[in-house]
Amino acid sequence: MYCVKCGVRLQDGVPSCPLCQTPVWNPDADKAEPEKRYSSRLPKRLPNERIPAAIFLTIVLCAVCSACFFFCMEQLGKVAWSGHVMLACAVVYVCAVLPMWFRKPNPVIFVPVSFAAVGGMLLYICVDTGGKWFLSFAFPVLGIITILTTAAVVLLRYVGRWKLFIIGGLLIAIGGSSMLIEMFQHITFETRMFVWSPYAVSAFCGAGLFLLLAGIIKPLRQWLIRRAFL
Amino acid sequence: MSHRYWLRLDNAALIFPAIRRPGWSNVFRESATLTEDIDPVILQEAAEDLQPRFPSLYVRLRAGVFWFYLEDIRAPLQVRKDFAYPLTYMSKEEQKTCCLRILYYKNRIAVEFFHALTDGNGAAVFLRTLVARYVELRYNVKIPAEKGVLDITEPYTQEEISDSFQKYSGKYALSRPEPNSYRLKGTREKDGFRHLITGVIPTKELLNTAHRYDVSVTVFLAAVMAKSVLDMQAVRVPRAFRKPVKITVAVDLRRIFQSGTLRNFALALNPGVDGRFGPYDIADLCKVIKHQLSAEILPQFMAGRIAENVLPQKLLILRIMPLFIKNFVMRLVYNYRGETKGSLNISNLGNVPVPDALSPYVQRLEFIIGTQITYPNNCSVISCGDVTCVNMIRNIRETELERRFFSQLVELGVPVAIESNDRINEGA
Repeated sequence: MYCVKCGVRLQDGVPSCPLCQTPVWNPDADKAEPEKRYSSRLPKRLPNERIPAAIFLTIVLCAVCSACFFFCMEQLGKVAWSGHVMLACAVVYVCAVLPMWFRKPNPVIFVPVSFAAVGGMLLYICVDTGGKWFLSFAFPVLGIITILTTAAVVLLRYVGRWKLFIIGGLLIAIGGSSMLIEMFQHITFETRMFVWSPYAVSAFCGAGLFLLLAGIIKPLRQWLIRRAFL
Repeated sequence: MSHRYWLRLDNAALIFPAIRRPGWSNVFRESATLTEDIDPVILQEAAEDLQPRFPSLYVRLRAGVFWFYLEDIRAPLQVRKDFAYPLTYMSKEEQKTCCLRILYYKNRIAVEFFHALTDGNGAAVFLRTLVARYVELRYNVKIPAEKGVLDITEPYTQEEISDSFQKYSGKYALSRPEPNSYRLKGTREKDGFRHLITGVIPTKELLNTAHRYDVSVTVFLAAVMAKSVLDMQAVRVPRAFRKPVKITVAVDLRRIFQSGTLRNFALALNPGVDGRFGPYDIADLCKVIKHQLSAEILPQFMAGRIAENVLPQKLLILRIMPLFIKNFVMRLVYNYRGETKGSLNISNLGNVPVPDALSPYVQRLEFIIGTQITYPNNCSVISCGDVTCVNMIRNIRETELERRFFSQLVELGVPVAIESNDRINEGA
């Protein structure tokens, strides 16, 4: 039995050519199943290979936190600098160790969770040091960065195409938000306005516009792919 | 060999443990299809009988402070039933137990090797000795130790377990800058399934066709493969942006240096043509690839190419560098350079003879190399008697390369019979 399109000989009983998927139609042929070359046994689903590393890092971070806590209590009788160390360990745990417990950690979940952990730590530092910069500066700046990063991760993960447009748009958004960030800095710390943000706006927006143009102009895109990405 | 032993990795093997990653390990397979169904109990006995003769294969991978090394296995190797597809992932945990798998399915004995142990030619010696021992036990016949079958009553030799790269390395490294090549792409199988399409070809017809172009079978198949990839590139990429299409061909160095090692001793060359200057026909490609290969396969040049890999291994700074830093550096170098110079591999073991007393029991031999980290396709070839098996493995859904390759062979007058483990065709 031969494939009419490829010209290769096929195994008896196959419903279509494995090369071109052209259906086999031969009324004179036996309707027997083709001989299976491999068993139907699939390999065992393997455990997550990063779990031993996750266990090790969890133990190390717990040990660091405990040692700092007891040393600080022994020395000062209260949670002082050890609180900062413990929170830093917690942030490291949430950002780096927590995703290791999962076979395929979803960045759409873990990116905002990591930023929330960083926000929590900044809040603690602000309260502990008696500062007044969290609500007026850290929170909005972190919020902008979280929204932009999460949006980029979601788009790149689920859209899959138009990467140049996504990255270009993201760069323009970062450039635009730098003015907002400088405004929050000005409000909180009473510094001069428009000191550095115009440079950031022009640099990020320039790069973003270049990528948008590359997305539109095919030869430029091909050149860019050839030079930078392949 | 009853006492515990360990071996250094050979020069080519150093990279394989460093670049492995979840879901991918550099494993290849050789298998023999016999005339009757396999008895797993006898196969187990044959596998155990071979252990003293092949100390460099019955090993597990261990990590030291500065280097990986191979250590003998603690428990007898257990033969297992084959899986739904070849070259399933060999995890780090499995490599810590044994880097070798012996599998059976119906009338086929398959052996899968982590590439750090040996290369295709070393594996072919092991497979033939295993099959010969199995046939001896099963049918009570005597298979003489000839044509790649080793006498298992004799002890192993030092040459068999030696690192020939160190022995035959030149004093000066030969390094030639190469442009990056065109890469094939496709829709990856999410569950790691490997599709295999086997072209079964009469050796005589294939040889005759190759000789018509005045080239060897390896060069002819590389030319047909290059033509297929060039045609695909021509459809997908505008002419001005086309890249070189280069086929990575493994060269067995045993024939050049008369080495008897059973460990890795092969190098890869990347003959090919620039897609912008096309179109090329098969005769053009045969001519180019033949001359590119023959210009490189000189013992002096090969010694220089070996030196390029061996000399860094001897640097004191690298030797005292902790393993995790070495791994990081090797991984970085491999990611940057390792798979950028070729479009896909063709590994041809050539004619692998079996003893006359064994040939009535063996229908055919097969050789399958796995996909690379970034190459979705690879091709491996082996001939035994009048049957040549061209195995094309892929981890993507599209069959365009296989269709073009085998169709071109048919157009050139080579009859091809196709077999596959395709899930679509099996209704799975």
